Amino acid sequence: MPRSIWNGTIAFGAVAVPIKLYSAVEAKTVHFHEVHLADGARIEHRTFCSKEGKEVPRDEVVKGFEVRSGRYVVVDKEEIAAAGGSRSRIVDVDRFVPLADIDPVFFDKSYFVGPQDDGIDAYKVLHAALEQTERAAIARFTFHNREYLAAIRAHENVLVLHTMRFADELVAPKQLDVPRAARKPDKREVDMAQKLIESLHEDFRPGRLHDEHREAILTAIKAKAKGKEIVAEDEPDAEAPDDLMAALEASLA
Amino acid sequence: MPRSLWTGSLSFGLVNVPVALFSAARDQDLHFNQLHEKDGARIETRRFCAEEDAEVAYEDIGHGYELDSGKQVVLTDEELDAIAPRKTRTIDIQSFVDAADIDPLFFDHPYWLVPTGDSEGPRRAYRLLVEAMGDADRVALGRFVLRTKEYLVAVRVRDGLLALTTMLFGDEIRETKGIAPGGRKPDKQAVDHAVKLVEALGDDFDASGYKDEYRKRLRAVIKDKEKGGTIEAPEQDAEPEVATDLMEALRKTMADLDAKGSKGKPASSKGKAPAKGKRRRAAKSQA
Repeated sequence: MPRSIWNGTIAFGAVAVPIKLYSAVEAKTVHFHEVHLADGARIEHRTFCSKEGKEVPRDEVVKGFEVRSGRYVVVDKEEIAAAGGSRSRIVDVDRFVPLADIDPVFFDKSYFVGPQDDGIDAYKVLHAALEQTERAAIARFTFHNREYLAAIRAHENVLVLHTMRFADELVAPKQLDVPRAARKPDKREVDMAQKLIESLHEDFRPGRLHDEHREAILTAIKAKAKGKEIVAEDEPDAEAPDDLMAALEASLA
Repeated sequence: MPRSLWTGSLSFGLVNVPVALFSAARDQDLHFNQLHEKDGARIETRRFCAEEDAEVAYEDIGHGYELDSGKQVVLTDEELDAIAPRKTRTIDIQSFVDAADIDPLFFDHPYWLVPTGDSEGPRRAYRLLVEAMGDADRVALGRFVLRTKEYLVAVRVRDGLLALTTMLFGDEIRETKGIAPGGRKPDKQAVDHAVKLVEALGDDFDASGYKDEYRKRLRAVIKDKEKGGTIEAPEQDAEPEVATDLMEALRKTMADLDAKGSKGKPASSKGKAPAKGKRRRAAKSQA
């Protein structure tokens, strides 16, 4: 049974759906800790005052926000928490929007939503309604003292909550300098490219895609544990042909 | 203009399209520095050997990994580099899949791919890929190496450009077993009512209508503090009571909404509606 990381209530109007939040993602990146090469002992991070050059106990370390170069305003934990907002137990639904309207770039972190024991019926009803209408609930809620905008949608037999990026956190195409082609690709080229795309078309099967880098690191760790040496392999890069049509034709051949 | 993080080429078959990679998301969070309370000086972090109690230089630090047996294996920077995937200048497209097949749960960080080079050929190749993929609503799956890590990526068409997203691997998404409720289906009448309510509270998604209120409040807290003010935590909204009668709650909300007209938000909510939110859909469903 997975452990929940937050409890609260999805609320719209008089409807309240008591929920639990679970992590949906478990990063499998291989993590190392720092060790001293000379003796294999753990490395500790110690805090020093840059002015005095002396070690500072953790309880003398405060958080400062740089308002101007070199000028800091010190704020404590409670003051930062005060900005968290008043919705610490409520997922406050604002609107239900068509799921297809939200580009996935807005989705930041993902969580699974499960019902609390006394809210199973309400949970199922909300799930069914979101599924039927193909809509997502846009809501605000406070998690770890920080208010988030969130989208809640039906996914298979659970609800998924995505925290969302705000519009000003995304880079718009007009902020990029995109060089334009003088002439559009002609129909023959588009047809040929589509043929090539179709020839490489397959179903998305995530189970078949492995993190080869993670596997290589774990293999190397095992090899080293047995006293083997780790050496790099080298392969040359591919060359880029100039002629687009010729490249398309050659790819299909 | 943001800086590009990587340049290389997008390659599928024998076609190579020279591109530059830009992040599509930027961090707007307020960041704090650690200071020494007594003198306001910046805090530095120094690395110490736990055993010798002496400071350790960067080059004398290795990467420890604890095996299940409890035995520790230490890798040096050089060894990690040797395992690191070969740094290539290509994003290798391996297959094309239907856009609708990839659940957004797989998406990690978003980027833009922009054509590079001064010549017409590469720009046209880029445009060709946009047109060919966009028409068929296909997403290209590939791999590429950014810094020292190899990523699985999805490349799709967005706003007439190629958008790249790093992806999670299948085993990084947890199972929903134990989370999804089992048992019987929900009451049909209740679902019908909920569907009506969802549609009545429906609207287009207008991203620009939502602002980061947290960032705003945190700025205000800092400003207050700078002026010497005291900051108090807001009172917490009470957790709403769970209605014993779900049908009744659905009916009441619908009735409240009808009474307020199409522009209303549900009564319990204290949040601000998006400033520029369009109300078309809400109005339509009321008509």
